[in-house]
Amino acid sequence: MQVSGAARPGESAWRQRTFWEKMLAVLQAEGLVKRFEEIEAVRGVSLAVGAGEVVGLLGPNGAGKTTTLRMLAGILTPSAGRVLVGGIDLRARPLEAKRRIGFLSGDTQLYQRLSPREVLTYFGRLYGLDEARLSRRVAELIDQLDMGAFAARPCGTLSSGQKQRANIARAFLHEPDVLILDEPTAALDVITGQFIVESIRRERAAGRAVLFSTHIMGEAGYLCDRIVLLHDGRVIDAGTLGELLQRTGCDNLTDAFLLHVRRGRNLADAPIGT
Amino acid sequence: MRAHIAWIIFRKELTETLRDRRTLFMMIGLPILLYPMMIIAVGWFQESQAETREERASTIAVWGEAPAALAHDLAAAGRLTLQPWAGVPADVREALAAGTATPPPIIAAPSGRRGRWTPAEAERENPVLRAARAAIGNRQADAVLVLWPGLERAIARGGLGTVSVYFDSVSLDSVKARDRIEDAVGAYRTRLIQQRERDAGLAEGFAVGVDVRARNVAPESRRSAELLGMLLPFILIVMSLLGGFYPAIDLTAGEKERGTMQTLMCAPLKPAEIVVGKFLTVWVMALVAALANVASLAATLGRIVPGQQLTVAPSAYVLTFLMLVPVTFIIAAVFLAVAAFARDFKDGQNFLTPIYMLLAMPATVTMLPGVQLTGATAFVPVLNIALLIKSLLLGEAPAELVFLTLTASAMYAMLAVLLAARVFQQEQVLLGGRQSFARVFGIERRADSVPSPSLVLVSYAAVLVTVFYGSLWLLRNATVLVTLLVTEYGFFLVPTLACVVLLGLSARDTLSLRLPPLRGVVAAVLIGVSAWTVAGGILIRLLPPPDSLVKALERILLLDGRAAPLWLVWLVVGVTPAICEELYFRGFVLAGLRRTGMLPALTVTAVLFGLAHSSIYRLLPTVFLGLVFGYAVWKTRSIACSMIAHALNNGLMATLVFMPAFGERLGVGTSAYLPWSLTAVGAIIMLVGLALLWSLPSRDTPRTVYKKNGPTGGGAAGPEP
Repeated sequence: MQVSGAARPGESAWRQRTFWEKMLAVLQAEGLVKRFEEIEAVRGVSLAVGAGEVVGLLGPNGAGKTTTLRMLAGILTPSAGRVLVGGIDLRARPLEAKRRIGFLSGDTQLYQRLSPREVLTYFGRLYGLDEARLSRRVAELIDQLDMGAFAARPCGTLSSGQKQRANIARAFLHEPDVLILDEPTAALDVITGQFIVESIRRERAAGRAVLFSTHIMGEAGYLCDRIVLLHDGRVIDAGTLGELLQRTGCDNLTDAFLLHVRRGRNLADAPIGT
Repeated sequence: MRAHIAWIIFRKELTETLRDRRTLFMMIGLPILLYPMMIIAVGWFQESQAETREERASTIAVWGEAPAALAHDLAAAGRLTLQPWAGVPADVREALAAGTATPPPIIAAPSGRRGRWTPAEAERENPVLRAARAAIGNRQADAVLVLWPGLERAIARGGLGTVSVYFDSVSLDSVKARDRIEDAVGAYRTRLIQQRERDAGLAEGFAVGVDVRARNVAPESRRSAELLGMLLPFILIVMSLLGGFYPAIDLTAGEKERGTMQTLMCAPLKPAEIVVGKFLTVWVMALVAALANVASLAATLGRIVPGQQLTVAPSAYVLTFLMLVPVTFIIAAVFLAVAAFARDFKDGQNFLTPIYMLLAMPATVTMLPGVQLTGATAFVPVLNIALLIKSLLLGEAPAELVFLTLTASAMYAMLAVLLAARVFQQEQVLLGGRQSFARVFGIERRADSVPSPSLVLVSYAAVLVTVFYGSLWLLRNATVLVTLLVTEYGFFLVPTLACVVLLGLSARDTLSLRLPPLRGVVAAVLIGVSAWTVAGGILIRLLPPPDSLVKALERILLLDGRAAPLWLVWLVVGVTPAICEELYFRGFVLAGLRRTGMLPALTVTAVLFGLAHSSIYRLLPTVFLGLVFGYAVWKTRSIACSMIAHALNNGLMATLVFMPAFGERLGVGTSAYLPWSLTAVGAIIMLVGLALLWSLPSRDTPRTVYKKNGPTGGGAAGPEP
């Protein structure tokens, strides 16, 4: 199918979805564009994540992954396009939509002079959890993420692995429908990285929609139900790992991605994303 | 904005800030260290000053005739410039020359050391003391030496002559002058005594020749307060600045540096809640720092200037602390807004340091002698509060100036908070990108057809300052007629129209340019004729204005008291404000606030209207009128109604002043207040008017209006965000 005007493969993929697929998607992005002064960082990204689905957003540095995820999490306002969370327009009803999102970024630190327990309590209150549910969730997460040993120590004194665990707890605290994770494993050792991978799997099993970005192709390969390839602010391909490999004729994701980049816009016009 | 969310943020930020040792040191440690260090520094300073003072000659006003020997000794003393009769008022000079003035009686003073540092209570207020105080205060002399009549005769007879030295203990130059006089007179006395003892063949020390009385002319309250008034505002403002400095950076740039800002931004929060939470934290820290300083200063004050008993009433400290509330408000908001632009802590320090200097500079002005709180300085941010603190300590703060200062400060504080709120709405600023300042300060042309509440508040601040300084200048340089016309048309009407045209607002919606319903017109007339009776009959009784203000107002109402014809008075005092002020307040301002709902919109508009009259005594009546006029426009959606009511109200007031006979026929004019009967009749007429307004169908709730002509253009108003 030929898309008229500027080719937006993500959009065409979206249009090809059935009505029900659209309805079931918990997180939907439609034609997101973000301009910073002169630069257009994201140029029309559409994607959808359904319940119990893990979608990986892949791309090199500067592809627009972080900007896209920030728009999806409601941190940045898109210059064009819209985001729906569980059918709620993020722009029109930001508070309701944001309550359904858990956001975690690899470079996020915690409040140095507060303990993980205090951080969790603080965010729990901001998300409007009542005190009973809040204390239950905090206890649960401390237990689940094995944080008992350091839950009362100031975050400034924690190791990076401990910090990231506290961060995961913070993102999962309010039991959001959608988890948006921006390079969650960046700068983490193997063990803590594994912790995150396990958490993602657990959340998928609990029926949450998970969207995460990474530039580690291998990680995406074995964790994601679907993969969205992002380059230069555009979706250049999307589908399951098998589909991506089949379309490009490569035997691994890295080669497939490089092939796409080399072909550039030519491929962008090709029909993809069934 | 949800207050409880802002409160949660505030509590967390406060906890975190209080766990920061650096901030705690700045707030509490520094004040404890600072004042003892200041005592040492003041000591050093005084020593170095003493050297230069030693070099300078003292100017002494000599009132009275000196015996030749004494005159010789004074002239020979060196570093004494004698100015006979300098700064002496005619009556005092006459009394001294005629010999009718006598040394004032001494009251038993608690001082043990005779002749030195005798407290002022030792001499009751008298004309000579007052004259000396004035002469020293005007810097005509460093000290005044009064040679009481009969001195020469008394000495010649071998009796006791009296001289008085008047000096000001606050001025070190004056103290030095006193010491030099005492030395010179002392030398004369010693020789005189030796001479007498020799003459009489008596043992040394038997006779006493001259009694020297040193008198401090500074009133007790001023002596301690002057010094405090000079130092305290500066110290307090600088320390409040320091108290807010680190928290402001930590809560913005620090949060960005740690990457927690984006976490906060993805939480279900409104920017206003984040701003308020953080703002409250910085504000409280600045305030606590100020409190710690006031307390520490109060505790160590007695020791700062050794030898001087500084007594300041506890109420002065309390008032001073209260004055810091608006100042710290401004500080906190400006700091927060600026620090938000910084990427990291270091960046934040670089950004805030110039702001710190800028805010501290006005406070240093209080150290200059002669700068005082006046109508003009009452509108200079930070400086006005610094001067107000100074005035409070000196016990001379007129209610009007306090009111103006607080109004202006509240206004600047509000502007600063708006600025901070605006910065926090710029997502890029919060995420660490350095967005252009221009975007924050720039006015975006929006699709809205009416102004936004923040635009209204900013415009109000601009209008208020322009009106204030403009009319101040005009009144000095032009007639009342010109002042009124320029103020009304130039400062109210032109900015209003400029805003509407330049921002592409809908004139019809913004200024409520609609034909009024008949019932509305009738109501407006009823209100216009009766409002003054209620304002004058009830509200004036609650806070009666001073006579001077009434006279000034009457003068303005009559256009400078000149024989202007009544039609001109009506045109200038009645119709002109009705057009200009109504278009701005009930048009522009009310349109901008309309989306907040009837009660808040009318109240805020009325208060802004009242404050614009910049007088505490006119506040109640003008706020009341503002409410009534606002209600008329709210119900009728037509500016014509409030214009009619306003013009009638002002016109009637002017007529009453213009034609006292007319007033007397109504029963006004003889007593200070309106008779209750007239007030009651007026109140009934007005209630009928209000009831008529109330009976109008409310076709004007904002939402229905938006829906009605929203997308179809014309007078389209964007839906609420």
